[in-house]
Amino acid sequence: MIWKIAKKEFLLNLMTFKFAMGTILCMVLMAVFVPILAKDYQQRLKIYNDNVARNEAELRKVRVYKNITPTIYRPPALLSVFSAGLEKQLGDSARIELGSIPEVDAAPTGDNLYLSIFTVLDASLILKIVLSLLAILIAYDSISGEKERGTLRLILANRTARHQVLLGKLLAGIVTLIVPATIAFVVGILVVELSPMADLTWSDWTRIGLMYLASLIFISAMYNIGLLFSCLANRPAISLILGLFFWVVCAVVIPNASVYSATRIRPLEPKVEVDSQIASLRSELRRKWIDIMIATAGNRNTSQSDAQGAFGNGYIRKFNTDCFEWQQGLHPAMEPLRIRYADKIWEVESGYLKTIWKQRHLADNLSRISPMFSYENATSVLAGTDLSSFQYFVSRTKAYRNQIVEYIRSRTDNFRSSSYWTPFSKEYASDYGEGKREAPDIADHPRLNLEDLPLCTYRLDLAESVRRAIPDLALLVFANVLFFALSFVAFMKGDVR
Amino acid sequence: MTRRVMFKEILENLLSLRFVLSLVLVICLFAASGFVFVGKFAEQSADYWAETNRNLLALREECSNALYRAAFYRQTIWRRPKLLSLCAEGFEKSLPNCFRSDAFASDLPQVKGRGNFALPHFSDIDWVFIISTVLSFVALVLTYDSISGEREDGTLRLMLANTIPRYKVLLGKYFGAMFTLAIPLIAGLLVSLIIVIPSEDVAIDAAAWLKILAVAILSLLYLSIFVFLGMFISSRSAHSSNCMVLLLVVWVVLVILLPGGGRIFAEVSSQSPTQVELERRLDEVGKEIWDNSEKFGKNAGNMGPDPNNPGNNPPARARLKTALTNAANQVRDDHHNKMLAQVFTGRNFTCFSPVVIYQRASEAMAGTGINRCVNLYQQIKQYQADLKQYIRGEDAEDPDSLHLIFDEEQCARWWKTISHKSVDFDTVPKFQERDFALGQSLKLAIWDIGLLALFNLVFFAASFVSFLRYDVR
Repeated sequence: MIWKIAKKEFLLNLMTFKFAMGTILCMVLMAVFVPILAKDYQQRLKIYNDNVARNEAELRKVRVYKNITPTIYRPPALLSVFSAGLEKQLGDSARIELGSIPEVDAAPTGDNLYLSIFTVLDASLILKIVLSLLAILIAYDSISGEKERGTLRLILANRTARHQVLLGKLLAGIVTLIVPATIAFVVGILVVELSPMADLTWSDWTRIGLMYLASLIFISAMYNIGLLFSCLANRPAISLILGLFFWVVCAVVIPNASVYSATRIRPLEPKVEVDSQIASLRSELRRKWIDIMIATAGNRNTSQSDAQGAFGNGYIRKFNTDCFEWQQGLHPAMEPLRIRYADKIWEVESGYLKTIWKQRHLADNLSRISPMFSYENATSVLAGTDLSSFQYFVSRTKAYRNQIVEYIRSRTDNFRSSSYWTPFSKEYASDYGEGKREAPDIADHPRLNLEDLPLCTYRLDLAESVRRAIPDLALLVFANVLFFALSFVAFMKGDVR
Repeated sequence: MTRRVMFKEILENLLSLRFVLSLVLVICLFAASGFVFVGKFAEQSADYWAETNRNLLALREECSNALYRAAFYRQTIWRRPKLLSLCAEGFEKSLPNCFRSDAFASDLPQVKGRGNFALPHFSDIDWVFIISTVLSFVALVLTYDSISGEREDGTLRLMLANTIPRYKVLLGKYFGAMFTLAIPLIAGLLVSLIIVIPSEDVAIDAAAWLKILAVAILSLLYLSIFVFLGMFISSRSAHSSNCMVLLLVVWVVLVILLPGGGRIFAEVSSQSPTQVELERRLDEVGKEIWDNSEKFGKNAGNMGPDPNNPGNNPPARARLKTALTNAANQVRDDHHNKMLAQVFTGRNFTCFSPVVIYQRASEAMAGTGINRCVNLYQQIKQYQADLKQYIRGEDAEDPDSLHLIFDEEQCARWWKTISHKSVDFDTVPKFQERDFALGQSLKLAIWDIGLLALFNLVFFAASFVSFLRYDVR
């Protein structure tokens, strides 16, 4: 009997205006917006590739170990087309240096600040808004409409049990909603697949598949909510109004309000204080640095060098034996100190970052009252554009820095080797000091062989993403069960006249 | 007769569930927005004054040290929190709020403070947000069955069987819906004001009241678009449920999707100017000037502690440094203009949506939002020029100084290119933000008001024509 009811309902739904509108709208919006989103992805990918190429070119020019300061970039996520998440909001590059642990400058400074006056648009927004509205529109008169027309009485006058009617309606609704969802996904995937540069791996396919699954669970939750209102109200007009207001609260009010409450409940310290702490640490380091320089220089004659001007990215080219010895003493004393201070600064920095993450988590947990947020979060986790993916990037950069530091340590014998700071040998120093030879042109300096430099691998683990998406998916399933149970109770007790 | 239709409509609406629901929702939202604003405003004001006082204190210290120190002191100027961001916050929380500048150059604007970059970018729950999303939705819910619903009930036939002309029915329904909408709107605004006014940080002056009134009028103009739209669609279809579907589609596209598309259109249509690019440009320009440093005079590239050393050439150095500063300022200005151009492209693109137009107009009236930030930055640059002028004037009175006002602190210290005498802090110009006057705000908003009126006219004409041709059976 359930099947018969479901089939009848399904066929009736297919013929309705709202179904046609919803499906066409989904299709048109996906066909219009996804190409633009894909183009945007390509642009970001191009910038990323340029950056990586520039970084490699710069690494190839390195002549001394202290100049190994690669920058690592976060590759744009292909699936950000489907769910943009925080992709554009957070920093995407980190410079690896000895003296600082990369604080991936979280607020993207390179970007256009003013663009933050726009809200984010992605395919999941289209699906979320349009499909959830469609679900409510299809559900609102499924019971109350039949009640008003009097056909519900006729059905129940037969031997059909009430739960069969309700299950049939649920089934029909879900099957109806699968149609536009599938069409939207097919259009989206086709557009992405047809655009150049896109190369979907099997992991991407699994992710898209899971996103599709999440969409289905989500729309069925929204359908159940519509069904509940339909069981509660006597007239379809009333159930429609109730459903729409509930939708506005879920889509507009809850996400905004939870962000707000989070900023009130867990306010952030002004960044200025963190900055001043860091500045004081830096000046402390500078004082010690100068002390060490004076101590290691002793009474050597270091005037015959360009050491004074070569502290930044360059290296010393003109030096005599005295200066050579000074530098040999300076670096082993200096670098461990810089590394230690980098750790201290990182501690302050990460303490601040932690408060930021905490605030965000609180906001997330508050917004989970709305099934829309759970859905959004699940898709962005699957797309690799959520906060934890970014945190993973931060932790990767930190680990990579440690690798680089270890690499430099091992290659330069704990900064004791002169190759750390100069491409020249001690013989050159004595020759230059005695005026026997000129400083060679930069182009003639030997380059380092960095073939065994560790590479940074940044790749999101599929299993990890799935694991993190599970709570939200479970929440959506729970919403399904809850609202269906409620509508079941309401329908069992409801008056069908 | 119009009036009678109107009263009937209002009474019917007042008794309906949707009106009660929307009234409750809207008043709750306005109350929440009021409470949120009071807390936020107090905190922001405290932060602002603390930072401003710190800045002025440091400036006073530098002034008592020496004139040249005051010239090179990098002032940090914060954006003042504004009372009228209660009406239209204009995404100010994610816009630049910190500006650093000395007498020679200003950095690009920065975002600092208590903001959390990891939170999703939402508009604040200000009046404009509540009105543009929630009340516009209420407008549709109130009007979707205004024509088609009466046709379904059969009452439209009865009404038109009398001698009442159709346009009077239409106008009566329009005014009925507008008055019904005005109830939650005005109640909400009052609730919000009642919450905000007693708090001690807030003082609303006459000009602010006028601006608040202007925002309220703009809101009515905006909501009237949606009432006309609802009536238009309602008179296009025979079934009210189909009208609802159509209206929801239009609403979703106009209110949610189009405004969100701004960023993506801006980014696709023109490439974001990046920080890397800016730095490269700065390097290039600097290198070019340095390479030709002899052009500015002999030994312009040299700098040593002793001004009488023939190796140093202060006037040439001054010319070189001034050229460098000007070139760098030019590059930064270009970069900033590019950023703005990109944003405004995106915003103009989203002008198909009345929401964006309404937002922009209310931001202009309230003196908030991106236009205010841009204006503030310009004012700071103007202030920087004024400060330089002041320093030039003060410096002229010191016979020991070389009177070379250029951007190199070390030279000023060694060579006394700028006076080392202390100055009276009270005579030093201080930065004071000037708000838009009402006339200026109106001038900024006039196009948008025109567009809103145009939208009204178009939908009015459409609903008028549709209803005249409507089959009432």
